[in-house]
Amino acid sequence: MTADPTISNIWDFSRVSVRRSLALMAAGAAVGLALAGYSLFTAQSTTTLFVPAEDVALVNQQPIARADYYAQLQASFRTDFAHTTPAQRRKVLEDMIREELFVQRGKELDVAAADPDVRSATVNAVEQMAAADAITAEPSDAKLRAYFHAHADKYEQEGVMTVRDMLFATAADGAAAARALRAGEPDAAVLARLRGRDSGKETGQDFYFAAKIHLGNELFDTAAALPSGGVSTPVPQADGVHVLHMLKNTAPQPIAFETARPQVLQDYRNERVRQATVQYQGFLRKRANLLVAKDLR
Amino acid sequence: MRRQGAARLGERLRGLRRAPRGAWLLAGLAASLAGGLWVARAAQVSAELVRSDPEAIAQDAGLFEAGVARGRPVYLRRCASCHGAGGKGDRTLGAPDLTDRDWLYGHGRVSDIEKVIAHGIRAPDRRGWNLAVMPAYGQLVPSATERVPPLSPDEIAAVTDYLLVLEHRPADAAQAAAGARIYAGKGGCFDCHTPDAKGDPAIGAPNLTDRVWLYGDGGPTAIAYSITHGRQGLCPAWAGRLSPLRIREAALYVYALSHRAPRSKVR
Repeated sequence: MTADPTISNIWDFSRVSVRRSLALMAAGAAVGLALAGYSLFTAQSTTTLFVPAEDVALVNQQPIARADYYAQLQASFRTDFAHTTPAQRRKVLEDMIREELFVQRGKELDVAAADPDVRSATVNAVEQMAAADAITAEPSDAKLRAYFHAHADKYEQEGVMTVRDMLFATAADGAAAARALRAGEPDAAVLARLRGRDSGKETGQDFYFAAKIHLGNELFDTAAALPSGGVSTPVPQADGVHVLHMLKNTAPQPIAFETARPQVLQDYRNERVRQATVQYQGFLRKRANLLVAKDLR
Repeated sequence: MRRQGAARLGERLRGLRRAPRGAWLLAGLAASLAGGLWVARAAQVSAELVRSDPEAIAQDAGLFEAGVARGRPVYLRRCASCHGAGGKGDRTLGAPDLTDRDWLYGHGRVSDIEKVIAHGIRAPDRRGWNLAVMPAYGQLVPSATERVPPLSPDEIAAVTDYLLVLEHRPADAAQAAAGARIYAGKGGCFDCHTPDAKGDPAIGAPNLTDRVWLYGDGGPTAIAYSITHGRQGLCPAWAGRLSPLRIREAALYVYALSHRAPRSKVR
């Protein structure tokens, strides 16, 4: 018995062989088909017969993420996956499938068109998606510094004052009190001698915003202009004549960039989010077919 | 010299060309097979990483190490700009140290870390950690969401002294006593930081007794600044931008920054 020379010769690479070419081509085609088939049935966004590794189920091709499943399991039973029973796992999975089915049905029924809660949640979710890119982009130090310098007025330490507001019955008493205080007479002595009283509006240190509320605009403006140790001119008001004695006045101070950096970063991001949201809205309006009633144009 | 080298190279190439075609084919097939096996193995590890219970991976030496190695480039690209290449954090930004086992949110489990990476902190993601913000007590309206009153500079100084006393640091005792009353009363600090000031990981309220500070050096000035101006750090949400696999890998890497690799495969 002798070997078939045509078969024995196909692996002789020093000669041209039609059979070998066909065999290699067929093998290549088979590998290509296998790869294409595998990709087709495992790729996302196509009909697939397999649940991807990162998901626990597909509901009408819509994945239920494994991470969400574990989180839900943990939230429901206050324990990690390893310590849950098969019944608990099944229950959570069934609940999540049910939710997905209802969400999908809700889309089919266009629930968002009628339900204000769904509309609001949808708007919120889309806004968040638009903002997310702005949040993840990390600004450079130079950008942050530029933002800080452009908005320097936002980064100030609030002013602090300790002021005494004294009230007198007449303008003459008020003027005499101001003179005495400037001359260094103690507050208590001046109040006793001129029958004045502390208005009680200010007690101890206050931030400027608080002092403004306590004193009112007119008295606050007068007080803020006083240096530490200064005494105001009498300020007549409905309840009497006020004389302010500024014990300590620390004007608003600019905050250094390094100190304000977290706040600057947050403000910068907020600004980027605002811009991103406006741009996104512009994009949506641009591509929308929008008709407005004549009387509201 | 150079000419001789070129001649030798040419000679070698001619020698290779003389090798039988079958040898080339076999070499190509072997290389393809090896490549295929490598890709298949990588795909298998990827599938195991995303399929496994996150806490179980931390007990599986082989899978854990594979995840950590893959997570490093993800971390360096997405997280290191705030937390630093070594994970030591940045106290000028309020980015926490990830190597110290002191966890603001959750308890430092892989699943906790994964949740932060996926859904962020105060990021625009409703599944993230968005419950609490440190009010700015030196402002007219300290918080947009909580009804807390502003504090005066004296009151802020008193609370600062109280916090110093909690860490057994020198402070004015009388002021600290006044601060304790504000902490437990008017300021409402106890509501987030808990009455014993140990913090609440469910809302990211830091422990105020452990000398671990998120912002600044933990000195009186930095503490008073935080009380006066408030804090609300942010960690971006990466869900939708990174695949579940990449998020899992990054979580494992961050977990490994403060935990040793498991000794053996338990599964």
